Amino acid sequence: MKHTGLVFFPAFDWAISPTHPEREERLLYTRDQIFEEGIMDLPQIREYKTRMAERKDIARVHFCVPDIDAQITEAHLVSAGSSLVIADAVIKGEVDNGFALVRPPGHHAMTVAHGNRGFCNINNEAIMVEYLRKKYGLRKIAIVDTDVHHGDGTQEIFWHDPDILFISFHQDGRTLYPGTGFIEELGGPLAHGSTINIPLPPRTTDEGIHYVLDNLVLPILAEFKPELVVNSAGQDNHYSDPLANMCFSAQGYAVLNSKLAPDIAVLEGGYSVESALPYVNMGIIMAMAGIDYSNLREPDYSAAQFKESPGNMEYIEKLVQTQLRNFRHRDDIINQNRLKHPQTYSYHKKIFYDMDGIHEEQSTQLHMCENCAGYRIITSSAQNRWNLNRVFCLSVPTYGCPECQKEAQRHYIEMCNKPNNYNYIYLQDRVKDVYKCMEPARSLETVL
Amino acid sequence: MLIGIDVGGTFTDGVLFNGQTVITAVKHPTDNRDLKATLLKVLDKLLTEVKGEDIHRIVLSTTLVTNLLATESGERTALLLLPGPGLPLDTYRLFADTYFLKGNIDFKGRKTEAVDWHEVEKAVEEINSLGIKKIAVVGKFSNRNSVYEKEVRKIIVDRYPQIEVAIGSETAGQLNYLRRIVTTYYSVMTQSAWKEFVGEIETALEEREIRSEVDVLKADGGTMPLHLSLSKPCETVFSGPAASTMGAVALAMDTKNSVVIDIGGTTADISLLIDGHPLYASKGARIKGHYTHINAFSVFSLPLGGDSPIVITNGKISVESRRRDKAACFGGDYATVTDVFNYKYALGIGDPSHSTEKISRIIDGSDWDIEKFCSDVEDIVVDRLRKAIQSMFQEWENEPAYRVWEVVHGRKFIVQEIIGIGAASAAIIPVLARRMNVDYIIPKHAAVANALGACVARPTLALKVHLDTQNGYFVIDQDGISGSLQAGRSFQIQDAKELAQKYLTEMANTRGMDQYSGEAEFYLEEQFNVIRGWNTAGKIFDIGIQIAPGFIKEYQGVRK
Repeated sequence: MKHTGLVFFPAFDWAISPTHPEREERLLYTRDQIFEEGIMDLPQIREYKTRMAERKDIARVHFCVPDIDAQITEAHLVSAGSSLVIADAVIKGEVDNGFALVRPPGHHAMTVAHGNRGFCNINNEAIMVEYLRKKYGLRKIAIVDTDVHHGDGTQEIFWHDPDILFISFHQDGRTLYPGTGFIEELGGPLAHGSTINIPLPPRTTDEGIHYVLDNLVLPILAEFKPELVVNSAGQDNHYSDPLANMCFSAQGYAVLNSKLAPDIAVLEGGYSVESALPYVNMGIIMAMAGIDYSNLREPDYSAAQFKESPGNMEYIEKLVQTQLRNFRHRDDIINQNRLKHPQTYSYHKKIFYDMDGIHEEQSTQLHMCENCAGYRIITSSAQNRWNLNRVFCLSVPTYGCPECQKEAQRHYIEMCNKPNNYNYIYLQDRVKDVYKCMEPARSLETVL
Repeated sequence: MLIGIDVGGTFTDGVLFNGQTVITAVKHPTDNRDLKATLLKVLDKLLTEVKGEDIHRIVLSTTLVTNLLATESGERTALLLLPGPGLPLDTYRLFADTYFLKGNIDFKGRKTEAVDWHEVEKAVEEINSLGIKKIAVVGKFSNRNSVYEKEVRKIIVDRYPQIEVAIGSETAGQLNYLRRIVTTYYSVMTQSAWKEFVGEIETALEEREIRSEVDVLKADGGTMPLHLSLSKPCETVFSGPAASTMGAVALAMDTKNSVVIDIGGTTADISLLIDGHPLYASKGARIKGHYTHINAFSVFSLPLGGDSPIVITNGKISVESRRRDKAACFGGDYATVTDVFNYKYALGIGDPSHSTEKISRIIDGSDWDIEKFCSDVEDIVVDRLRKAIQSMFQEWENEPAYRVWEVVHGRKFIVQEIIGIGAASAAIIPVLARRMNVDYIIPKHAAVANALGACVARPTLALKVHLDTQNGYFVIDQDGISGSLQAGRSFQIQDAKELAQKYLTEMANTRGMDQYSGEAEFYLEEQFNVIRGWNTAGKIFDIGIQIAPGFIKEYQGVRK
């Protein structure tokens, strides 16, 4: 018998707005279903009380502008804290695996956070991953994002981290928010191939997704050998989802979780609150706890309804071959990148915060370190309704080398002491687990 | 005058109470083969000085149903289950004679799979051919729509009028199908034996010219009229610990955060009072490993009491759970926990020289001197009690919370007082309280606190109303009450609360507890906007209202 830890946190007193998809009602019917089934009374399931994440847990991942409290509500702290509760329970061996069935979600939130993107302010999985590394010394972790939307936030956060394998399957970005997650997006120059995107055509069914799982996801997980597998468990691939166009079923989700066997699952999106969520959530819990789910189905489901088209299958098979190749050749590409960019690697991008209407301009400069993932300098400016925020961020990787750490610290002090145009200067020293923020106009430094 | 009788596993306690005075208190060993006889013996002792007609209320608490369930000696009962899709059927196959039927309702009370009438008839025919006379029909989400349960019942009753049927929605209407099955099944299987017992008690009371109100105590610390208990015998399980807790509250009469420890010969029952209110078990009473929908106090039972014998095995002191005899100071053969405390604190219980003698005999030939030995035993006893208390605090503090507000504000149990009741409390509680650095009280009449708690407890009633304005209906988790809701867009939480209050008042009236309906309080107020597209299609409310455990109006405390 497997033991599955569960944090159920429906945030019955929190909504983005009264009619927003991310509202109190979202997990109401899931509550009804899992309570009525009595699944929490079974010896396999252990329900945990949630707690609030610390601000430091957030600073380990994000540069919140101007500060953490400006980007979160208490609900976000609780939602992030829920995954930490599950992480502790799993690592301590109290349970075999665990599911944080929580809202608000987080997988669209990126390193620099000026506002809300795709219903997300802070990234629950990323906060959990860095917490696991700091507290328990884990290093290699795989995140499989099964939300219908590309997990662009999680991808961006771990873009330069070769120890985090991020796999996202989602509806093709040309047809759905956030419009990214194409096969060419494979990770930064020193982490090439540890980001794998699987854009699927609309109307992909259980069959297509299971093909991807069997022939791509599971093989590369076996080769990558992570210490922990996380499922970023969105539920909007479901055939009834109002925001997307896929044809996945509750059975499909249950089979996926049996095969993937994640150590930890964290709920992401999924807005078919009546027709999908009660059944999909049951399916995930049952699969994780090793409970037979053959009797689980949506009331309106019929197996004959959804058949994978030959055209779709052909496309998916090709996609799988391409991505297998990309993953297996990652070391060659990384070596080439080192020759091509011996000192630093820079790029520029624009980020849009759809929920808050914020446009961000961002530049990143990666130090091409020979001994670690390299420290990063991110400069970002964003115009929100009130003001223009220009920030300067220094990020030392969790397993960064002493030189990168020293260089970033030196750079931070230098920036704090010389006149510049930035409103805020941040240092994220993950090796030392110290997070600093300087506001030059007031000469005010805060340290977490 | 009031009478309270608590038939316990070992002893039956009774009190005759008037004004603020315990007039008579009786303690009598329980004959578990004939509870009625024991009960009447105690009743007659209480009645020696007064006439039956002077009694205006009797409250009984008995282990009858608890014993029936423990020994599985209820009546053979078949289960007809309509589980629909979800967990595997085997999860719900908890008892023999279980049959599964098609027919499913979803969380909004919508029919999503029809009942197969032919299948129902076949199952009932088989049940009848087995000679089974009781059937429990329980459907998943029948608490949201009981139509299938009622239709199945009709088929059975039409064909086999001699078979008695109970349905889940009328027995246990809270969410949780597993617990609804267990609760309905246990209710049905204990009904006949309980009915017989009630009949005998009624006759016996008539013979004694007692025509007062007769109530039974429930696991939730409230009472219900004897005749109403016929359909819900299960609610009387674990009324013993509830009686003790209510007794402690009655005797303490304060609003502190307290730990109630009822420590007798073999067991310590621990319960918590938060601001003077007893804490409920969050998952309901647990019977034979199954959770139920029966509201019960949260009670932690530790196999540790005044008569627990002390032995030395392999050079280590152990306090055994199994009672062998009474304490040495009362003429027993073994040194017990009571003897150790008696010696160490010179309590003068019984004949203290016997305590000393038996303890000396145990340590004879060992490395312990008597002082060290007694303080080691004290450490063990105090440690076990403290750990149990601590785990109860933690369990309460770690109850899952589903609202941001609850998580942000957290909860912490800060104990202000220990209330000790039960025979061994005088020896153990003062030491425990000192070691925990809190105040304690051991009230006068602590030995019969259970019987006192029973006789002054008031009736309780709790209902949860689920209202759905989108689909225009409401359901109540008690007695299968439901109705349609003519609710326009303006229907607000205040209207939902008024509806809940109205039904509570009506139910209180039919149960003869109208004098308490003014004291009902809302314990749950949830509302959800139902949004379809970007429009409000309706609202869902969950409203909980209760007449909480408390005391009858005439109870003004016990004169010190």
